[in-house]
Amino acid sequence: MAGRNESAAGWIGSESQVSRLRGTVFKATCLGATLLALVLMLVFLLYVVNDALQPRTADVGWLATYGVTIGLPALALAGYYYRRDTRAGEVAYTSLGLPIAATVLAGGITILFRHLISPQEWFALVVACAVAIGIIELHGTVHSAGVIDRLAVVTVVPLLAVVGIPGISVDHTFNTLFLEQELFRIAFSTPELAPSLREVILSSPVLPTDPHALLLAFTVPVAGAGSLYVRRVRESDRDAALVGVGAVLAAGSGLVLAPLAGLSSTAWIVLATVVAVPVGLYVELVVRRGDGVSGLAFPVVVGLGALLGTVAVGAAGFAGPDTWLTWEFLNNPHSRTPRDAGIYPALVGSVLMLVVVAVAAFPVGVGAAIYLEEYAPNQGRLGTIVELIEINIANLAGVPSVVYGVLGLALFVRTVGMRTGIVLVGGLTIGLLILPIVIVSAQEAIRAVPDSLREASYGMGATKWQTTRNVVLPRAIPGIMTGTILAFGRAIGETAPLLMIGAAAVVRLPPESFMGKFSAMPRQIFTWSTEIEYEFRYGVLAAGVLTLLVVLLMMNASAIVVRNKYQRES
Amino acid sequence: MNFGLPTLTNTANTSTANSATNDESTTPLERDRPADGSSSTDAGRSSTRATTETDTIIEARGVDVYYDADQALQSVDIEIPERQVTAMIGPSGCGKSTFLRSINRMNDLIDIARVEGELRFHGKNVYDEDVDPVALRRKIGMVFQKPNPFPKSIRDNVAYGLEVQGTTDDIDERVERALKNAALWDEVRDQLDKSGLELSGGQQQRLCIARAIATDPEVILMDEPASALDPVATSKIEDLIEELAEEYTVVIVTHNMQQAARISDKTAVFLTGGELVEFGETEKIFENPDHDRVEDYITGKFG
Repeated sequence: MAGRNESAAGWIGSESQVSRLRGTVFKATCLGATLLALVLMLVFLLYVVNDALQPRTADVGWLATYGVTIGLPALALAGYYYRRDTRAGEVAYTSLGLPIAATVLAGGITILFRHLISPQEWFALVVACAVAIGIIELHGTVHSAGVIDRLAVVTVVPLLAVVGIPGISVDHTFNTLFLEQELFRIAFSTPELAPSLREVILSSPVLPTDPHALLLAFTVPVAGAGSLYVRRVRESDRDAALVGVGAVLAAGSGLVLAPLAGLSSTAWIVLATVVAVPVGLYVELVVRRGDGVSGLAFPVVVGLGALLGTVAVGAAGFAGPDTWLTWEFLNNPHSRTPRDAGIYPALVGSVLMLVVVAVAAFPVGVGAAIYLEEYAPNQGRLGTIVELIEINIANLAGVPSVVYGVLGLALFVRTVGMRTGIVLVGGLTIGLLILPIVIVSAQEAIRAVPDSLREASYGMGATKWQTTRNVVLPRAIPGIMTGTILAFGRAIGETAPLLMIGAAAVVRLPPESFMGKFSAMPRQIFTWSTEIEYEFRYGVLAAGVLTLLVVLLMMNASAIVVRNKYQRES
Repeated sequence: MNFGLPTLTNTANTSTANSATNDESTTPLERDRPADGSSSTDAGRSSTRATTETDTIIEARGVDVYYDADQALQSVDIEIPERQVTAMIGPSGCGKSTFLRSINRMNDLIDIARVEGELRFHGKNVYDEDVDPVALRRKIGMVFQKPNPFPKSIRDNVAYGLEVQGTTDDIDERVERALKNAALWDEVRDQLDKSGLELSGGQQQRLCIARAIATDPEVILMDEPASALDPVATSKIEDLIEELAEEYTVVIVTHNMQQAARISDKTAVFLTGGELVEFGETEKIFENPDHDRVEDYITGKFG
């Protein structure tokens, strides 16, 4: 017996020791690499935050007050979640992050309503679209058999509703073949043949005022979507109605309350719609799930602490830090004096550019991914060509951005003849840049849909199009959204293509349309880095970087949230 | 069309039979030659005579299926009777699922698959140029090995086929009828809005059957529908299949020989190499098969 034990100890001991050492060294090396990357990132971020906010310029009392009112309770709560209730910790950071991310989004939407499309124009557009969709649906139920007239209705009605029949304008000079001498010239133009429904609505004398228009054309659709979602998830009409009415009321109260509080009703309505609906839905979800409800206390504690701290600091007369990232910084254009300099026009430029990028890259990218995954042959000679194309698309994702800048310059400015440095050119160029990323991520999302579902659908006698629309896309959309949002994050941070297509170094006025000259946040940051004054290069630049990073982190965080939710559901 | 292939099959048969000739009085060649060419059809005819009224709904004539260069089915001849249960048994890789998927042209979805020969549905070769596979699949429903409900509500799952086939009236009524026919209605009547994925495995498979019959096809193909289920769920599915055969033609692939013996009227035995060795009345196949190889397989000596 004893001898047996000894021999067993023998073979457990020495021989496995060798592999354990090697494994330990490997593990330690990997850990070292991870830590190095993390620490470098962290140091850089701290450096930027320090430069942008300059916390050391604040009174000690100021720091101490906020430390007591926000820092300590937050730390205590975090410790409690960590020890007792991990799920609540998850709820805590989501419920704190969601309002912040939603506020950033609301800021973006407010910018759009302020510079791109006025609330009244938006109202006209929404009503026109609603009428068009109504007519198409009606036609579908009354007369769904005819393919040709169905197609005609589906194309003509939206066109009439939104665009109208444009006038024709021709101005072309015919030259002789070699000598390039003018032979004759055709030039005529007609006025617009028929105005669109949108324009008719816009010119009507009884338009709702801006806040009312927003309430009707923005809040109501968002609230409707929210209540539809609730009805699908909860299977309760009462809850759905509650959500819808609640959201409209929250936003509508801005018509009365916002002027009283000295705020703009438009901003209130956008903020209430974009923040209240998702936050309300999330809180409701947590409460219904009954898991980690205590996490909801976290944002409340932080919010109350901030309020309390502000009151206390005001009472005690402590001076805050001499921070660069202020409300004025977000609202001012660039200036020669660092203290007055701001990022607003560049922020607007980035938002408008992102709209162009989204409109250009999303449909094209997802369409290409659907074709490559669902329709393209994968066998034989054609299959080889398709494979070659796929490899090249993946490679294009790695082409340096400055090369895309040259491409954009050559294609959109030189060939198509658009002006340099306008939002449209910038957006299209960066759209091209992220197109391969969108395609590849959408392909992966579509590929992740199990084949058994496709087979089930085909086995029911569904066509390829029906299968793609009803089975594949609904399943793939969350994955596609995740990849696309990450790609948009890349788009908003790109600088080199903007330099190539001639985005302005400094813009004093934000662009008012897609055809306006613009600058974007990274371009503006680059400009600040070349200023001679020390304060531009350290203070203002850091504030700009922090703004850009906050926007980026919020986009990435929402992508992660979408992905996690999707993974949990499937 | 399949001119060269019977020879190939013959030699294969001969060699197999040669190895097991000792206890048989007939020479292997005498016994095997008719078996390969016509015995299956003979068996089919005799059974048709026995049960009289049944008509042939699906008829295969020399069907070969290739995956690239690999031949998965060798010149299969079979006549599947209407409103009966036809079982297909055989070891893994013998081509029975391939044959099943050829009937409603699901193999079209696999780029490398190629089907030769004639496969007639109501006398019309389904591989003719003018046959739309989508239209064909609306007549021939399918239930798969693994339950694969859509991540939608139970109602939407059953209504899916109706929706894609453009049926808009009486959806609720049709859904209810399909669920009743699939013996699932009593269990889910109050939770039609629940996701189909929340059901148990056996319920999911019955949901898939309900989905297949909601559109009222003529034939239901089942590819090992009970192989992923426990015995209780399996017996429910088996009962259901027998009931379905009153209204529909059921073709079922199964690994489970007892199951085939219990529920089917006719049985086709495929053996390795994609060859249909014997086809006939289930009782005859299980009690007195013409071929030793079939007997060996059924009694578990081979397979």
